[in-house]
Amino acid sequence: MAMPSRVSASVAVQGILLLLALLVPLASGPYWIHVGAIAWYYALLVASWTLLAGFAGQFSFAHMAFAALGGYASSLLVLHLGVTYLPLAMVAGIVLAMVVGAMMGFLVLRLSGPYLALFTLAISEVFRLILIAEEQVTRGSLGLQVPRLFHGGSDVPYYYLGLGLVIAALLLMTLLLRTRVGLFLRAIREDEGAARASGVNTTRYKLLVFVVTSGLAATAGIYYAHFIGILTPNMLILPEMGLVIAMAVIGGIESLPGAVIGAVIVFLLSETLREYGEWRFVLLGLALILVQRFARNGLFPLIERIGRGRRQTQAASARPVAPIAPAAERTHAN
Amino acid sequence: MNYFALLAINGLVIGLIYALTAAGLTLVFSVLRVVNFGHGALYMAGGYASYYAIGLLGLPPLAGVLAAMIALFAFGVLFERLVIQPMYGNEVERKDEYAIIVTFGLTILLSNLAIVVFGPFSKSPPPFLSGTLVIGSMILPFDRLIAALVAVVLLVGLMWFLARTALGQALDAVSQSRESAAVIGINPRRMYTIAFGLGSALAGGAGALIAPIFALSPSMGELPAVQAFIIIVIGGMGSIGGSIVGGILLGLVQGFGVGYLPDPNRALAYTQAFGALLLIVTLLFRPTGLFGRPHQRLE
Amino acid sequence: MQTESRVPFFAAAGLAKHFGGIVAVADMSLHLHRGEIIGLIGPNGSGKTTTINMIAGALGPDAGSIAIDGIDMTRSPAHAFAHRGVARTFQVSRLFRRMTVMENLIVPALSNAATRRAAAEARARDVLAFLRLEHLAHEYARLLSGGQQKLLELGRALMLEPMLVLLDEPFAGVHPRLLGEIIEHIRKLNRDGLTIVIVDHNLDAIRSVVQRTVVMANGRKIADGAVEDVLRDPAVIHAYTGSRKALRG
Repeated sequence: MAMPSRVSASVAVQGILLLLALLVPLASGPYWIHVGAIAWYYALLVASWTLLAGFAGQFSFAHMAFAALGGYASSLLVLHLGVTYLPLAMVAGIVLAMVVGAMMGFLVLRLSGPYLALFTLAISEVFRLILIAEEQVTRGSLGLQVPRLFHGGSDVPYYYLGLGLVIAALLLMTLLLRTRVGLFLRAIREDEGAARASGVNTTRYKLLVFVVTSGLAATAGIYYAHFIGILTPNMLILPEMGLVIAMAVIGGIESLPGAVIGAVIVFLLSETLREYGEWRFVLLGLALILVQRFARNGLFPLIERIGRGRRQTQAASARPVAPIAPAAERTHAN
Repeated sequence: MNYFALLAINGLVIGLIYALTAAGLTLVFSVLRVVNFGHGALYMAGGYASYYAIGLLGLPPLAGVLAAMIALFAFGVLFERLVIQPMYGNEVERKDEYAIIVTFGLTILLSNLAIVVFGPFSKSPPPFLSGTLVIGSMILPFDRLIAALVAVVLLVGLMWFLARTALGQALDAVSQSRESAAVIGINPRRMYTIAFGLGSALAGGAGALIAPIFALSPSMGELPAVQAFIIIVIGGMGSIGGSIVGGILLGLVQGFGVGYLPDPNRALAYTQAFGALLLIVTLLFRPTGLFGRPHQRLE
Repeated sequence: MQTESRVPFFAAAGLAKHFGGIVAVADMSLHLHRGEIIGLIGPNGSGKTTTINMIAGALGPDAGSIAIDGIDMTRSPAHAFAHRGVARTFQVSRLFRRMTVMENLIVPALSNAATRRAAAEARARDVLAFLRLEHLAHEYARLLSGGQQKLLELGRALMLEPMLVLLDEPFAGVHPRLLGEIIEHIRKLNRDGLTIVIVDHNLDAIRSVVQRTVVMANGRKIADGAVEDVLRDPAVIHAYTGSRKALRG
């Protein structure tokens, strides 16, 4: 379905960016490697949220809650339940998040739009408040000390782990979207009732996308927890969810690579502009509004489209960009 | 007994402010079918607008509330025209998403702008009326009573406006069916603008009323915003009366919860969580809330 | 256009549905034989669309039963009806707007797990050829004209390889030239064995294509028979023109 030239240009750009990402630790100091490693946390969250909200149309505000659930579950299994083998605790955290994700997916089956957003927001808030309230277990706002995954002073292993997780997640999600499941998810987003009338078991696929994205969010949370070494309920506050949404919208809410690029760029910019204090978030809010107003599908697809447009004026068999309708009407008249 | 009465009155005051905030939110939802995720930021902006109107223009404190409402009305109209209006055309396919995203952007923009411009530390505007009312062993600051009274006046005024004036009835008509309203000559788009302006003004007014009581800070709108979302779902999205009942209910629960639960950390967290749990339960079992109408998608 | 069997393959009996205090359908029964084309008409608010929604599985009836080839489908979800061979179109076309025409068409085919992608795309091309829309295969659905969208709705329904198609106002707002085309498509589909139910207000169009018409008013069936007989039925005339009091006034 995709025109070969469009695919290869986009893939080429992504390839170059991947190469750059692989080379960063060789050319940067510890500060930027640390920043990069954190950027992968956001990239993983934003990409998985894009699948959930951008492709499947489920605008969930509980995404950070799943990241926190994974992180806290993994940490508490090690700290309080004596699970000494860290990878086991991590996998358990992911599985738990997937189960809870399925449960939440079941609860929100009949909800959509602002109702879904508010419901998932409420769930996130309840979880956050439980984390604060039960400080005997979670250490609440003081922070839970989490055993780190790698020892030694350098963040380089975390950087490459994070990058690896992002690439693996992208591959997984892209492959999923290429199958009929991807078509069904998009159909559900477009018109759930029409999808059902077309034979799609919308319940099954909505649950599936919640399970997959909760698992990925939990993976991000677990990565973050065992990298930074400390967890607080602040990872769940509404502004954090807002940051993820902003990154997704700016990068491209219907493009997985766009989501990753958006996350990385927004996070890098916010670090670069750190000396300007809160102005960088004022800029973010403004950027979010402007992108949504003028480039609804995000900047990455916009850039892709501009690139394609320029090639099209040169190509011999250009696909018409203008509305088809009038021409088709004429055909019908015959 | 007096402790109970004190908690009840404090809870009622908070509840009325919540109700006022929620009323603005529900008005915007019922007319535009948009949940304004920036509502908390508008509340906060109202508080600061009042503060500076009093400080820079020398207005008496209550007039500051009015100034804040006017300023926020103007801002709401501007934001609606510039950012929300494009959503109504055929260009935007997923209107729900668009609205959530841009109003979220508004929150990020305004909250951080407030930190930058006003500084992150709390400010205290002058009280409406110094002193306290003493009944038996209860001490009730006048500020709280005045805030509650003004909130009641505004809420009653709002309900009267919607029921009795031509403009209010036009808003109500659009909230029920925009096609039918258009047929009888009401311009829906003008109504959207007015509703958004009014909703913003109500939020700003609530923020201005609460500021002398609990102080101003850039993050002061975060909790009230979440409470407003909870209230409009519980009360029924689109029902002003539901917002009032829901607001008072939540305010009372918070007042009693914090007053009676032993562990302060847990008490605060769980009274806040109570509202969120109520929202969850409401959406699961009675999605139209206590008084609301069935949801219609924004076309 | 002969009915192939005396035993109805689709039997809906005693259907009822209310929304809050409003009774949309009080008591509706519908029996279909293979190969029939029937019209379902009635004034606004008579319960036609609610009935269609129930017999497509999109709404669960409050009372009554639905059976297809003897199998009870009353509590089955809409996608189960689709897999049993019941397809429907919507009053206002509900296409997957930001997906291409081809993607719109292969979704129903692929909803059957046994269907391979290549087979689905081949069937889609056949449907596009039938509707004379091949040149739009890779266009986004939202860019199609109103008439093309209506045809695509029909095409999407056909992709289920249904035995029963429910058409909800297929003639509404359609350009006269396209109207004739749609009627032709319906006739051809019926000749090929498809059972069709048409809900519409355009009595001339319905007349020209159906064998039998069912009339609803106030949530009930008030007439069922040949088109001309039904249109002369006093109960039907009463339903369309309102109460006698109003006529007198």
